Amino acid sequence: MTTAIETRQLLKRFGGLLAIDRVDLVIPEHSIFSVIGPNGAGKTTFYNCITGFYTPDGGDILFFDESVVGLTPDRITRLGIARTYQNIRLFSSMSTLENILVGQHSRLHANLADAVFRTPRARAEEKHAVSEARSLLTFVGLAGLGDQVARNLPYGAQRRLEIARALASKPKLLLLDEPTAGMNPHETRDMMDFIRKLRDELEITILLIEHDMRVVMGISERIAVLDYGAKIAEGSPAEIQGNPRVVEAYLGRGDASTSRRRRKE
Amino acid sequence: MLDVRAHRRRRLSAYQIVQITLGVVFGGYLLWRLFDLFFAHRVYGPETWVQFALSGVVLGSVYAIIAIGYTLVYGILFMINFAHGDIMMIGCFGGYFVFEALKAIPAGTASNPDLKLLDAQPVLAVVLAFAVGISIAALSGFYLEKIAYRPLRGAPRLVPLISAIGASIFLENAAQLLFGAQRRDYANPAAIERGAGWTIPVGNASVVLTYTGVLTLVLSVLLMVALYLLVKQTRLGRAMRAVAENKPVAELMGIDVDGVISRTFIISGALAGAAGVMWGIHLGLVYYFVGFIPGIKAFTAAVLGGIGNIPGAMLGGLFLGVVEALGPAILGLNFQLKDVIAFGILVLVLIFRPTGILGEVLSEDKV
Amino acid sequence: MKTRIRNGANAGIVFGIVTIFLILIGFTGTAAELISKLIHAGSLARSLGMTEGMFSLLLFMAVLGILAGWYGGRQLRDLPDTWSSVLVRSTLAGAVHGLLVGIVVYVIGTLNANGVKMTTYLPQLLPAAIKQLLFGMEPFPAVVFYLILLTVMGTAGGALGRVLGRGAWRHRFAEGWRRRWESLQHLPSVQWVAGHRWSRFAFFGIIILLIVLLPLVLGQYWNYTLGTIGIYVLLGLGLNIVVGLAGLLDLGYVAFFAIGAYTVALLTAPQPHQLNWNFWATVPFAIILAAIAGILLGIPVLRMRGDYLAIVTLGFGQIIAILLKSDIMTPFTGGPKGVSGVGGPTLFGRGFTDVHFVYLIALSVLLVIFVTRRLQNSRIGRAWEAMREDENVARANGINVLTTKLMAFSTGAAFAGLGGLLFAARNQFTGPEDHNLMVSINVLAVLIVGGMGSIPGVIAGAFALKGLPEVLRELEDYRVLAFGALLVVMMILRPNGLWPTSRRKLDIKAEDNAPPDPEAASSTKGAQ
Repeated sequence: MTTAIETRQLLKRFGGLLAIDRVDLVIPEHSIFSVIGPNGAGKTTFYNCITGFYTPDGGDILFFDESVVGLTPDRITRLGIARTYQNIRLFSSMSTLENILVGQHSRLHANLADAVFRTPRARAEEKHAVSEARSLLTFVGLAGLGDQVARNLPYGAQRRLEIARALASKPKLLLLDEPTAGMNPHETRDMMDFIRKLRDELEITILLIEHDMRVVMGISERIAVLDYGAKIAEGSPAEIQGNPRVVEAYLGRGDASTSRRRRKE
Repeated sequence: MLDVRAHRRRRLSAYQIVQITLGVVFGGYLLWRLFDLFFAHRVYGPETWVQFALSGVVLGSVYAIIAIGYTLVYGILFMINFAHGDIMMIGCFGGYFVFEALKAIPAGTASNPDLKLLDAQPVLAVVLAFAVGISIAALSGFYLEKIAYRPLRGAPRLVPLISAIGASIFLENAAQLLFGAQRRDYANPAAIERGAGWTIPVGNASVVLTYTGVLTLVLSVLLMVALYLLVKQTRLGRAMRAVAENKPVAELMGIDVDGVISRTFIISGALAGAAGVMWGIHLGLVYYFVGFIPGIKAFTAAVLGGIGNIPGAMLGGLFLGVVEALGPAILGLNFQLKDVIAFGILVLVLIFRPTGILGEVLSEDKV
Repeated sequence: MKTRIRNGANAGIVFGIVTIFLILIGFTGTAAELISKLIHAGSLARSLGMTEGMFSLLLFMAVLGILAGWYGGRQLRDLPDTWSSVLVRSTLAGAVHGLLVGIVVYVIGTLNANGVKMTTYLPQLLPAAIKQLLFGMEPFPAVVFYLILLTVMGTAGGALGRVLGRGAWRHRFAEGWRRRWESLQHLPSVQWVAGHRWSRFAFFGIIILLIVLLPLVLGQYWNYTLGTIGIYVLLGLGLNIVVGLAGLLDLGYVAFFAIGAYTVALLTAPQPHQLNWNFWATVPFAIILAAIAGILLGIPVLRMRGDYLAIVTLGFGQIIAILLKSDIMTPFTGGPKGVSGVGGPTLFGRGFTDVHFVYLIALSVLLVIFVTRRLQNSRIGRAWEAMREDENVARANGINVLTTKLMAFSTGAAFAGLGGLLFAARNQFTGPEDHNLMVSINVLAVLIVGGMGSIPGVIAGAFALKGLPEVLRELEDYRVLAFGALLVVMMILRPNGLWPTSRRKLDIKAEDNAPPDPEAASSTKGAQ
C-alpha cells in the first residue's frame, strides 16, 4: 500500500513551547486516519504544518514521497492537499457556487487576458467549472442552493459547503478539522456516513481531527494520539481504547489544562 | 534519524530575493556614506552632529508620546486610529488659545506697565496650556471613539479603518473652517522663548540646548514613566491588558470592556494633547494640518518598536527622531526630503521586520 | 421624570453643539444664502423688518430647532411614548438648544461690540455675518430671541415627530411603496419587457444615446463637469478593483493617477523635455507605466496586514507629492509649477473640443466597465474576492496571493493611469496640486458612498460626490468636511454603500427550494 503522507521527526516550536514534538506518522492511501488528543495537544498546529501555514523547525513531511516542507500553502494545495477548518471559514459574502469555484482555482488556468477577452478556451473552461461545481453541490446535498450567499446557509450546510470547496481542488488528501463540532447526534451520524462516502466514492485519503469519540472510533481505521505535541500512542480504535496512556492523557490530569502551557522544552 | 535535516530544502521565495537585494543595495550605500562622512570627507564637525542628535532626541520624545497612543489603541482594538494625529492637532490648538488669552490679559507692574499675564506667570501659563490641551484632546479622544468607532465593533477590519480616515478628514477640515488655513505662531511665554537656551561647548564650537527642548524632553519622560506605571501597576492597566488579550473572556471576568476601551481612548487622547502642546511650544507653529505628518511618523515609530508594545513605541519614537535628524546628512539627501526618510523607514521596517524592534505584543489569533 | 429631563437636555446639548459648530464654520450663513436663492422671500422679509438674509437664517434656525425637538422627543425604549413625555423632552431639548446657542451668540456679539476682531481667530465671523446672526439686535435681546425661537421650535418638532415620525406610520408608508413596486414588477407587460432580451439592448441604447446627445446640449462648463465626473468614475472603478474586490486599502492611489498624467504631459509638452509626441502614441505608455508602477509599489507592501497597507500607501502617496514639489525633480517634472502645454488628442487633424472630450472619457469609462465586468466574473475576480474575505483560506484554496494582489494593484493602477492621462490632456496642464492626498480621499469616498465592488455604485457615487457639489457651488467650502463625515456615517449606517453589489446568479433555479437536509437547516447556529 502506498503512503499518502508521512511525517518524520516533525518539530514545531513557539518560543519555548514545543507544539509538535518529533512526531512520526505514516498515513496510508485511501485510509481514514484520526488524530486525537486533549485541547492544545498540537493537532491544529500539525495541520498548519502540513498545509504550509507553519514552517516546521525540524523534520520532514512527505506527500507521496515528495517533501512539501517550505512550499507555500497554495503550492501544497495544488499538489493535492485540501482542508477544512474547526470554526467554519467560508467566503461568507460570496455565493455557494462561487465558493466552490474558488476551490477549483488551482485547477483552472484563465489569466487576466483570458478573462478580459473571454477566449474560447476560457469560456469552455468556465462552463465546465460551473457544471462541475453544480455536481459537487449535488454530491454534498446542497443542490439548488448555489445562488445563496454562503453566510445565509444553515450551519450544517455550511459544513458541507466547506467540504465541497475543499473537494473542488480534487485533493488526494483531505484534512478535516472537527467536522462534527456543534452537530446533534443525528447530524453527526449523517456526517460520518458522508465521510465514508467521500473516501469510497472519491478514493481519497482522509485525515481527521475530532473530539467526538463516537465519531473517531466509528470511522477511523487508525488513530494517533497527541499530547503536549508528542505522539503517545497509535493503533486501531480498539487498541487506542485500551491504551492506559491515552486514558491518562484524557482523564488522569483533568486539572492539567492550566499547567500545560507552562511546560517548557 | 540524523539525516532527516538533509530532506529540508531551503527555497528562496521571490519575496526573500527582493528583501536581500534591497538590503544589499541600501546597506552598501549606507556604509559608503558613513565611511565618506567620518573618514574621507568629514563634511560636518562634531558640534553639528551633536546639534542634530539633540534636536532628534527632543522631536523623538514627542513622536514617542504620540506613538504610545497608537500602540495603546492598536493593542486593544487592532485598528489604526487614523485620527490620532488630529487629536494632537486639537491639543495643540488648545494650548495656543490659552497662550493667546493670557497674552491679552494685562498684568502690568510698576517697572513694566506693558507686561502681560503670559510673560508674568510663565509657569502658570505652561501648566494651564498643558491642562487645557490635554483635557480637550482627551475629551475628543473619548467622543471620537464613542461616535466613530464604537458602533463598528465587530465589523470587518476595513470598516473601522475607513471610519477612522473619515474622522481624520472631518477633524482636519473642521479645524480649517473654524480657525482658517493660515499657519499661526505659537506665542510662548518670554521665559521659554523658542531658540533661547543654554550654550554648551562641543569641541571648538558650541551647541544650544533650548529651554523648550529640555521642557519637552523632561515632560515626555515623566509622561512615559507615568504611563508605564499606569499600565503595569493599576487596576485599569490590568483591565486594559486583559481586554487586549481576549475581549469575551475579559467580559466574563466582569471587566467593563466598553469602559476600558473608552478610558484607553481618553489616555491616548491625553497623551496626544500633551504632545500637541509640546509640539507647539517647541516648534512654534499651529494649523489645521499640524497633526498629519507627526501622526504618520508616530505611527511609523509604533510599528518600528513593535505595535502594541509600549516600551517599543518609546524606543521607536526616539529612534525615528534621531534617524530623521541625522538621516539627510548621513544619506546625503536634500533636507527638503526629510519627511521621505520617515516613510522610507516605515516601508523598510515593514519589509524586513514587520513585528518591529521589540516585537509585537498582540494576541496571536488577531494577527 | 428624571430620565425625561436627562434625555431632553442631552438632545439639546447635542444640537446645541452642532448648531454652534455650524455657526462658527460659517455654515449658517451659507445655508441662509442658499435658502434665499430658493424661496425669494425678500418682500416678506422686509415686511417683517428683516433683511432677506436674516429671514433665511431664521428659517434655517427654525429647521434646526424642529430637528432638535424631533430628536429630543423621539421614541425611546424605556420611556412611554405619551404626549406629555414627548412634549416635556422636546421642549426641554429646544430650551437647552436655545440657551447654548444664545450664550455663544451673546459672547460673539458682545466681543464684537467691544471691538475685538473676531476674524483673527475665527475667520468665518465677519462683522456682516455677526450682524446677521444677531438679527440686527443687541446681544441680550438676541439671546432671548434665540431662546424663545428654539424652545418653540423644539416643542413643535416634538409634536411633529409624535404625529409623523412614529414607527407604524413610517412602516406603512415604506410597505405601501414596496408593495406598489412589487405589483408593478408582476404586471404582465412589465414582465414581458424585462424578460425580453431586446430590453437590455434598448436600455443600453438609451444610455448611449444620452451620452451622445447630452454633451451637445450642455454648455462648456457642464461638459467640463461631466468630464470630471467621468474621470472620477474611471478612478473609482480602478480603486474598486484594489479596495472593493481585492480588499487592499490603498490610500496612495493618486500616485498612479499622477504617473498617467505626467507621462502624457512630459511626452507631449514643449517644456521641460521638448519631446512633442502625438497624444495617441503616449496612451499605451501612460497606461503600461502606471501598471508597472502598481506592481513596483505592490511588491514591498504585499506581505503587510491590511491596515498597515493603508498607512504605507498613504506614505507612498506623500513621497510622490513631496518629490513632485521638490527641487531635485524640477528638471524632470517641472517642479512646483507643473507642466503646461500638454498636447491633446487630435482626430483627422482637428483638436478635441469639450464635447469630444466627454465622448472620449465616456468611451474610456465604457471600456473600463467592460473590462471590470469580465474580470469580476472570472477566475481572477473570484480569487480577488476570496482574498478579501479571508486571505489564509484563499491561500489554502490554491490561490497565490502574491501574484493575485499584484494583478489587482496593476489593473487598478492602469485604470488610474488612463484617468490621469485624460485629465492632463483635457486640462492641457498637470502639476503637483492635481495629485495631492485629497484625490485619493475623493476616490475612496466615491467608492464608499456608491458601494464597494459595485459598478453602478461607483457611477452613482461619482455623480453624487463630484456632480452635486457643482450644482450646489455655495457648499464648495464644506465639501471635504462632508466627505469626512460621510465616510464615518456610511460606515455606521450602510457599510455596503448606497448601491451594494448583487451576486451573479450561476445556479439553475431549483424546482423546490427546500433545504436538502431539514435537520441541518434547523440545527443550532449558535454552536460555533
